[in-house]
Amino acid sequence: MAAEGLPCEFDVVILGTGLVESVVAAACSRVGQRVLHLDRRSYYAANWASFTFNGLLDWIQRRQEPPPQPDELQDWSSLLEEGEELIYLCNADSSSVSNVQVFSFTREEEESVSPPSTTEEEEAAAAAEVEEAEEETTQSTDIKEKESKEETFNEEDDGQAAGVDGEEHEAPPPDNQSRKKVSYSELLDKGRRFNIDLVSKLMFSRGSLIDLLIKSNVSRYAEFKNVSRILTCRHGNVEQVPCSRADVFGSRQLSVVEKRKLMRFLTSVVEETEQQTAYSGRPYLDFLCEQQLGDNLQHFLLHSIAMVTEDTPTEEGLASTRHFLRCLGRYGNTPFLFPVYGLGEIPQCFCRMSAVFGGIYCLRHTVHCLLLDKSNNRCKAVIDSRGQRISCSHFVVEEGYVATERKKVVTPTRSISRAVLITDASVLPAHSDQQVSLVTVPPVAAGAPVVKMVELCSSTMTCIPGTYLVHLTCQSVGSAYEDLSPVVTRMFNTPESHDQETCPSVLWCLYFNMVDGSGVQVQGHDLPPNVYVCSGPDGGLGHEHAVTQAESIFRNILPDEEFCPPAPNPEDIIYDGDSAPSTGEEEKQGEEKGEEEAGQSERGEGTGVEEVGQSESGEE
Amino acid sequence: MAGGSVSECKEYLFKVLVIGELGVGKTSIIKRYVHQLFSQHYRATIGVDFALKVINWDSKTLVRLQLWDIAGQERFGNMTRVYYKEAVGAFVVFDMTRGSTFEAVSKWKHDLDSKVKLANGSPIPSVLLANKCDQKKDGSNNTAPMDNFCKETGFLGWFETSAKDNINVDEAARFLVENILANDKGLPYEESNGDRVKLDQETVAAESKSGCC
Ligand SMILES: Cc1cc2nc3c(=O)[nH]c(=O)nc-3n(C[C@H](O)[C@H](O)[C@H](O)COP(=O)(O)OP(=O)(O)OC[C@H]3O[C@@H](n4cnc5c(N)ncnc54)[C@H](O)[C@@H]3O)c2cc1C
Ligand SMILES: Nc1nc2c(ncn2[C@@H]2O[C@H](COP(=O)(O)OP(=O)(O)OP(=O)(O)O)[C@@H](O)[C@H]2O)c(=O)[nH]1
Ligand SMILES: [Mg+2]
Repeated sequence: MAAEGLPCEFDVVILGTGLVESVVAAACSRVGQRVLHLDRRSYYAANWASFTFNGLLDWIQRRQEPPPQPDELQDWSSLLEEGEELIYLCNADSSSVSNVQVFSFTREEEESVSPPSTTEEEEAAAAAEVEEAEEETTQSTDIKEKESKEETFNEEDDGQAAGVDGEEHEAPPPDNQSRKKVSYSELLDKGRRFNIDLVSKLMFSRGSLIDLLIKSNVSRYAEFKNVSRILTCRHGNVEQVPCSRADVFGSRQLSVVEKRKLMRFLTSVVEETEQQTAYSGRPYLDFLCEQQLGDNLQHFLLHSIAMVTEDTPTEEGLASTRHFLRCLGRYGNTPFLFPVYGLGEIPQCFCRMSAVFGGIYCLRHTVHCLLLDKSNNRCKAVIDSRGQRISCSHFVVEEGYVATERKKVVTPTRSISRAVLITDASVLPAHSDQQVSLVTVPPVAAGAPVVKMVELCSSTMTCIPGTYLVHLTCQSVGSAYEDLSPVVTRMFNTPESHDQETCPSVLWCLYFNMVDGSGVQVQGHDLPPNVYVCSGPDGGLGHEHAVTQAESIFRNILPDEEFCPPAPNPEDIIYDGDSAPSTGEEEKQGEEKGEEEAGQSERGEGTGVEEVGQSESGEE
Repeated sequence: MAGGSVSECKEYLFKVLVIGELGVGKTSIIKRYVHQLFSQHYRATIGVDFALKVINWDSKTLVRLQLWDIAGQERFGNMTRVYYKEAVGAFVVFDMTRGSTFEAVSKWKHDLDSKVKLANGSPIPSVLLANKCDQKKDGSNNTAPMDNFCKETGFLGWFETSAKDNINVDEAARFLVENILANDKGLPYEESNGDRVKLDQETVAAESKSGCC
C-alpha cells in the first residue's frame, strides 16, 4: 500500500508531528516548499496526541517499560563526503513524560460483555442487570497481565503505595455503587470512542491559533464546541462564574448590587486609567480590593476571568482580563472553543494541509543524523532510519530528538502536572448534561498549585455517553499525583474521599508529569543555524506559545513568504483539462499567485514527485 | 454527515473517500465525475482537498457529495484522521492494466475499515472501481471471481470504469449514494451535532460587533 523509497531532495525536512512542527510543515508546503515530514512514532502529534482508551493504555504501558535499548549507534560515516561531518540525533522521547500512575475504580464483570451486535440501549440494560447481580470487585487496570506488578493497597497505606513511580494500583472497592453503571470492560469495548488528549488546553476565540486556523483555511478540517460555562471551586463548592452580560444579569448567586458593580468594573477595565497605572508592579489582588467589589466578585475576577494568582502584578492581571473580555461573544457564552474529537486533531489538520500541498508524510520513520557541511557550518542533508541520504536546505526538529550533549539545558526544567479522569457525572449538573466546562481551582492549601480543570461531555466526541472526561493541569510543584490528587479527592468521589457520595465518581484516572515546553530552550543549542528546534506543549491555557514559535521558525526559513495564506476553497478550483487546477481567486490576484502556480507545476513534474510516482510498491 | 431537513426537501452532505494506489486514476475519476474533464497528463495531485458534486437526487432530496482525494503525497498509508473523519462512503480504485494495484485493494479496504465506522458500528459502504477499462486487453469475463472478491472483502459491488471514456463513473456514484442514503435512515448521533462551530472566513466577516459585556 505504501510506495517505497523517498525522493532524495527536499527543501525542508521536519522531524516530529507536534503542533509547532505541523504548523511549520503546512506553512512551508503552502508556499511551494518541498516538505518531508516524519515522526518516529506510529501516531501523529507527539505529546499533543489524543488516544482512544485502548491507545492510551498502550501509551501508558510504553512509559512503564524500561526504555528501549538505544539502537546500536550505526556508523554512517561511509555516507560522508569530503568536507562533511555527522551530527547524531537521539531517539529517546520517553524523558519528557514521568511519574505515570493509573488507578481504576470500576467494577469487574465476571460475565462476558454483551455481544457487539447489541444496540446501545440493550447494552445499557445489560450493564444494569450485571450491576445488580454481581458482587463488587475492583478491576485491575492491567490488560497485559504478564508485565504488570500488581500492588494491592488499602485505605491506610494508599498514600505510600501511590508514591511509587510507574506502577499500577489496584484500588479498594468504593463504598457507594449506586451510580456506577460503566464497567471497565465497557470502557475497553467502547474505547475507540474516547479521544483522550495528552495536553489540556482551550482555544481562546480570538487567540492566535483560532486566527491562524481561519486565515489559512485549515479550519475546514475541524469543528468545535463552545466551552459552555466557566466554573470555579470556592469553599468546597462548585459555582458558575458569570462572564457574559446575559450571565451576569441572569445570575442567581449575585445580588443586585454585585451585578451592578461587576458590570461597572468590566466596562471600566477595558480602558487604561490612571488608577490602574498607579498599581503597576503591585498585585492585581490589591487593585481588586481597592475597587471594593466584595469577596465573591473578587474571587471570580482573579481566579476565573484573569486566571492569575494573588501575587500577579496588576498590569498582567489587567491584560489577561482584557484578553478574556475581547474573546467573549465571538462564538458563544465563554471566550473558549474546544475541538470536536479533541486537541490532537489540530496538528493533524495542519498536516493534512501540508499533504494537500505536496508534503510527504511518513510515520515510524526517523532521522538518525544530520550531515554538516564544514565549509559553511550548515546542515546539508539528513540520513533517515533506512540509511538513505536526503538533502535539504532546512531541518526542523522536535526538541526531544536533540541529543543531550548538543543541548543547552535550562535548569531547573519546568514541568506540568496532569491528571485525566473518566467520571460518571458532571461536577455541576445542569439542565443539559452536555456541558463543556472550564473549572478554575484556586490553591487548596498554601503553596499548592493553581489547578485548571476542563470537563468534557460526550458530544465533544472525546468520551462515551454517560461519562465525562476531566483533564486537570497545573505547573508542577511535586509529582502529578502529589499536586492533583488533593483536588481530585476533594471534588470527586474516590475510595480516598469521604462522605462525598453526591460528587461524581471517578471510574478511572491517570496521573503524569510532562516537561513544560515553555521552559525549553529552542535557541542556543550546539546546532547549525539552519536547524530549528521546536518545543513540546507548554502549560498555558491557550496556544500562543506554539503558534508564535512556529511563525518565527517559518520567518527564519522563508523571510519573504507569507505565513499560511488562505488555501483555495475546493469549490473555487477550476480545472482546465491539461494544467494544474487553478482557482478563480488566483487569477484575480495576478502575478504573485501565478508564480506560485508555476512553482507547483514544476514540482509536479520535478524529480521528487515523479520518483515516488514511479516506484510502485512491490510489497505484499 | 446528513444535513438538516428544510420543509419538504431534504438536503444531505456526504463525505466520500477515494483511495487506491498511485496513478490508478483517482483524481481522473473525480475530475470526470465533477468537472466532466479528462487529461492524459499525469501529475501528482497538489492543492486539492475534495471536489463537490451536487446531485438532485429526486424531487425531495438534494445530495451534496464531497469527494476526498488522497492528498498528493499522503500516500505512505499514513493518512491523518482528518481524512477519514466522518466519511460515509468510499471508492477503492485500482488500475485494470496493473495487477499490483489490484493486490493492494484488500489492504486499502482493511485500512479503511479500521479507521472509520458508521455510528451503528458497521463498516462504511464502499464500492470497488476497476478503472482504465478502456485499455482492457482481452475480452475476458471475470464477473464471477470479482463478485466473489467483493463479497469476501466487504465491497457492496464493483464497476469497470473509465475516466477517459466516461464509462460507468456516474453509475458507480449513483450506486454508492443509494447505499449511503439507505444507511442514513438510522444515523442517530447526527442530531447532537447541531451546535458544533465551524470557523471560516465568512463567519469572521459576518461576525457581529457584539463583543463583550
Ligand atoms: C478523529 C476521529 C474521527 C472519527 N470519525 C468518525 C466518523 O466519521 N464516523 C464514525 O463512525 N466514527 C468515527 N470515529 C470513531 C468513533 O469515535 C467511534 O470509534 C466509532 O464511531 C465507533 O467505533 P466502534 O465500533 O469502535 O465503537 P463502539 O463503541 O464499539 O460502537 C459504537 C456503537 O456501535 C455498536 N457496535 C459496536 N461494535 C459493533 C459491531 N461489531 N456490530 C454492530 N454494532 C456494534 C455499539 O454498541 C455502539 O452502539 C472517529 C474517531 C476519531 C478519532
Ligand atoms: N486510459 C485511461 N487512462 C486513465 C484513466 N484514468 C486515469 N488515467 C490516466 O492515469 C494516469 C493517472 O491518473 P490520476 O487520476 O492522476 O491518478 P491518481 O490515482 O489520482 O494518482 P495519484 O494522485 O498520483 O495517486 C493519468 O495519466 C491519467 O490520464 C482511464 O480511465 N483510462
Ligand atoms: Mg491523484
